[in-house]
Amino acid sequence: MYYPDDLSKIIVKNKLLGIWKLMDGFHLTYVVANLSLGLSAIFKTSTFLLLRYFADHVIGSDTARQVLPWVALGFIALATLEGACTYTSGRLAAFTAEGITQKVRDFLYDHIQRLTLAYHSQAKTGDLIERATSDVDALRRFFSEQAIGVGRIIFLFTVNFVAVLYLNAFLALISIIAVPFILSTSIFFFRKVTKAYEAYQEQESVLTTTLQENLSGVRVVKAFARQDYERTKFDRENWQKFLLGRRLASMHALFWPASDIICGVQMLIGLAIAAVMAINGTITVGTYVAYAGLVAWLIWPLRNLGRLIVQTSTGLVSFSRVLTIIQEQREPLDQGDYQPQQPLRGELVFDGVCFEYDDDETSALIDISFAAKPGQTIALLGSTGSGKTTLVNLLPRFYEYTRGSIKLDGVELTRYSRKFLRSQVGVVEQEPFLFSRTIRENLLYGVGEKVDQNEIEAAARAAAIHEGILAFPEGYDTLVGERGVTLSGGQMQRITIARTITRQPRILILDDSTSSVDFETESEIRTALENLMLGRTTFIIAHRIQSVMNADQILVMDKGRIVQQGTHSQLLEEEGIYRQIFDIQMRIEGELKQEIAMSEDPVSEEPMLSASLD
Amino acid sequence: MTAQFYEEEEFTTQFNGKTVLRILAQTRQHWIWVVGFVAAIVITSVLDGYLTYLGKQIVDLGIMANNKQVLIEIVIKYALLVLVQGVTVLGFVFLASVLGERVRYDLRKKLVNNLQDLSLSYYSHTPVGWIMSRVTSDTERVSDLVTWGLVDVCWATANIFTSAFFMLKINWRLGLFVLAILPFISWVAIQFRKKILVEFRRARKTNSKITGAYNENITGVRVVKALGRENENIQEFHALTSEMYRASYRAAWLSALFLPTVQIIGAFALGAVAWYGGLSVEVGGMTIGGIQAFVSYILFMTWPIQDLARVYAEMQQSIASAERMFSLIDAVPELQDRPDSFDPGDLRGDIVFNHVDFYYEPEKPVLTDFNLQVRHGETIALVGPTGGGKTTIVNLICRFYEPKKGRILIDGVDYTHLTQHSIQSRIGIVLQTPHLFSGSVRENIRYGRLDATDQEVEEAARLAGAHEFIARLDDGYLQDVGESGNLLSTGQKQLISLARAVLARPQIFIMDEATSSVDTLTEALIQKGMENLMQGRTSFIIAHRLSTIRRADRIIYIENGRIAEMGAHNELLRQRGPYFNLYTRQFRRELAQEYDLFRLDGLAPL
Repeated sequence: MYYPDDLSKIIVKNKLLGIWKLMDGFHLTYVVANLSLGLSAIFKTSTFLLLRYFADHVIGSDTARQVLPWVALGFIALATLEGACTYTSGRLAAFTAEGITQKVRDFLYDHIQRLTLAYHSQAKTGDLIERATSDVDALRRFFSEQAIGVGRIIFLFTVNFVAVLYLNAFLALISIIAVPFILSTSIFFFRKVTKAYEAYQEQESVLTTTLQENLSGVRVVKAFARQDYERTKFDRENWQKFLLGRRLASMHALFWPASDIICGVQMLIGLAIAAVMAINGTITVGTYVAYAGLVAWLIWPLRNLGRLIVQTSTGLVSFSRVLTIIQEQREPLDQGDYQPQQPLRGELVFDGVCFEYDDDETSALIDISFAAKPGQTIALLGSTGSGKTTLVNLLPRFYEYTRGSIKLDGVELTRYSRKFLRSQVGVVEQEPFLFSRTIRENLLYGVGEKVDQNEIEAAARAAAIHEGILAFPEGYDTLVGERGVTLSGGQMQRITIARTITRQPRILILDDSTSSVDFETESEIRTALENLMLGRTTFIIAHRIQSVMNADQILVMDKGRIVQQGTHSQLLEEEGIYRQIFDIQMRIEGELKQEIAMSEDPVSEEPMLSASLD
Repeated sequence: MTAQFYEEEEFTTQFNGKTVLRILAQTRQHWIWVVGFVAAIVITSVLDGYLTYLGKQIVDLGIMANNKQVLIEIVIKYALLVLVQGVTVLGFVFLASVLGERVRYDLRKKLVNNLQDLSLSYYSHTPVGWIMSRVTSDTERVSDLVTWGLVDVCWATANIFTSAFFMLKINWRLGLFVLAILPFISWVAIQFRKKILVEFRRARKTNSKITGAYNENITGVRVVKALGRENENIQEFHALTSEMYRASYRAAWLSALFLPTVQIIGAFALGAVAWYGGLSVEVGGMTIGGIQAFVSYILFMTWPIQDLARVYAEMQQSIASAERMFSLIDAVPELQDRPDSFDPGDLRGDIVFNHVDFYYEPEKPVLTDFNLQVRHGETIALVGPTGGGKTTIVNLICRFYEPKKGRILIDGVDYTHLTQHSIQSRIGIVLQTPHLFSGSVRENIRYGRLDATDQEVEEAARLAGAHEFIARLDDGYLQDVGESGNLLSTGQKQLISLARAVLARPQIFIMDEATSSVDTLTEALIQKGMENLMQGRTSFIIAHRLSTIRRADRIIYIENGRIAEMGAHNELLRQRGPYFNLYTRQFRRELAQEYDLFRLDGLAPL
């Protein structure tokens, strides 16, 4: 079993320290990567020093013939060593960057799925994904390109500068006159260009939106014959993007030649002075030749430093964006000190339970008390927002009640771990959610591989979907979702019911799942549900009398309270909402009868009308 | 079209000359720009080679000859050329990048223009996402190829030739030897690039799977929690990230190995130059400056080869992109106006379906031998189960599709003899899933008739029952509706799209579940306005609200592509057929809703 490394340790005040902690396990590797980088710079510089030796002491000397092969070998050896070091540093940096990225990806994925539902209900999916993908990728580039790139330029500069200093101190000072100038221009430019680039990207997303709307609204476009209008609209945004792109191009077109000229002039000044010194005999020809090679590596890389510095700062921004997710509190799934030895019976006792959402002053549940015996069906009836869903959300501990007590088989609910409770509580949501994998995998989702084909089929039969599944070309191995077949709402609903059956939960929560499907499907789902409810303590969230009539207990809810409680026949005898609803439904039947009678000659009573509440 | 058709990574392995020519042809209108940047880049490269040659002369003619006069001359020449090079660099960077933007602009324009003409059948079997990538990323790749790809190729080729020229000029024997290793370096470079590209592609594929996994796990988080699937999920995800790790790590270290390898091969040339050159200096065939210049030229040659290898590898991908993109540019609308088709002017609205057969896929017939006659001014309600063919009938009337067999007559003329525009511009259609565009409420309503005054927009909104809620919005008619109208509720969007159709003053009116998400009270409000609107206009209504259905002159119950029942409301009730069943069921639902039984939130379709 794989568990991602815990990254909560990177939550520290100082961002750089956080990044250092994120690199845990890669510290040595990264240091070695940077050291090899330094070494490779030294070998590169040595090549030019060898060139100097070659020019001053080998060419024209008496021993030239004997020494030359060795010099040649020296060049090859130095290049090989330099190459080996460059490769080592590149590979180690990639090892670090990819390794850390995988750690971050794994941790984020796991972390996000373990955050509370309260968090998820307010988080935006697109934003979360953006952070988990683009920002993580920016972080990867930070380690693989930017941090190492800055190191490379600094090493090159330092080593080459020391070498030139060793050749001639005056030359060394002459060669870096332009450095502050190049650096500041480059940083200034890349700051600017980053902004221009953002505007350009923003326009790209405007363009994408325009196109997206045009394509998904193609029926509207055609229905109003607005093709030309759409063309003009797209063209306007497209042209705007062209203008922004041209602006960006102009900026680049100014910066690169300008910096080329600055670097070129700096180099030329160095070369000219060095040449004069060589003619005057202050330095040797070999020194000149070596200098001519070194000075190029001193100046040109600096042009890129500005880009890297700006990119590094965006890398840090991405780090903070990822950090905000990591800072969120997880739901402790295993926390709980009670693990029953016997299977659950499913007895639930609510006593004075209250609940408030964090961001809401008003109470969502007030003083809820009732008892459900094992195997009973409890129906919750009430308008949207009356607290029905909130109440059942407490059972799998999606939310924690703030006052009162809930006892499951006599033990306080909070003593059971969430993990255990969720394995015992089955939920059938109003809007079925399937994963884009095969039907079989969907049915096995959450139970692992321990269920065999017979059991799967039994569950599918009980949910009245077995035949339907077999009708697909690949049966149970049919892919559902975007890349597979499209299922109707009723089919999806029955698959989720079958999925719940395979888990064999002791307690069931059914969110009245039939209100959004047509009549034929509704009756099929009803059969499926009845099979599912057998012998299980069941909570039904209902909107209609028909769905609650057979319940052992009906809780009528209003504004977070239970206002009426009892069986169908008991509640009918009381004054209250329940009877009002029932009366209305009876009245509806009456009106229907009248309506039909009016539109035809009064022949006979339709038997189906009187039996319509079944 | 198979599913594979939509695979992002699919690419041709063959070098397709025709496609390459066509890609290059994209710059034809701007050929002068191309000539400009190619010239600029060649000059830049030649100057590079010449500056190095001047460096040699500084050593040989200045230092070794102890001649300051010559040195100063060379330095001045050098300085001037650096300035000239600045100009040529400016030239090619500007020309190439602006041209890149321009080609992108042109391609996107072409694509979008053609997309507007394609028939609905094209859209029904082509995912929007697929089209989007053609317009966004493929155009990018192709325009990069004709600009930066071309820049790299010109630069690299020019560099190789310039270096070769100067090397041969300095010492032709040594020059030939250095050139001899070129093919070898090229071969190595191409091998590397190919391998790296394979890994990149694998990484990108895995990356989209990772994004998909995030998306599914976040949108389905309730189910994940309820089913306690966290541990298995992270195992599966870890397998994905491990795949990603393998591919991108391999790509990264191959890249890290690539450069040093090429450089080491170059170092052999360098060693040879030192050895042979050192000997030649003695006999007078070579100079120190010459050796120094050779060192630079060898570098000048190895870099371009790496670039060429990269361009070559990327080109295969760009060609695949171009092929997909061109397929979209070349796509021909399935429905096209006949050369002799005409605009009949105003439509009266007599519509006849004459033995019409229709299917979207040949093996699944939707309508078979369908016959229907609708007289001018009639209001027809289409009812029946989902998938029965109601929407198909609407699609056919609007001529989004044409019958496979049989004919549809409008005002007595087979409508394939009329222009599409003449029909569609006179039909007003309101859809169940209302589609709005980013922009203000007013802009969205005005979509119906572009030259409508603000006053007319408001009148249409009143008629459609939308004015009330619009007036309550913070910015009224100027309120931004958000991307695809996301800031409004479905009911509000439906009202706006209704107003949009009203404003269009259509001669035939079609409502496809157009007010399904509008509350009963508003529905009643609209009622009158709609009745006025339908007065004297042929109208088709697909609806489940009884009030709307009852109002129709004729109700047609459609099941399995055929008319199961047809007639007025009372007649059909008396028949005790499918319409009767539908009616009683819907009656209960509506009344329950009317009595506000827990404000039912899920409305049931028929």
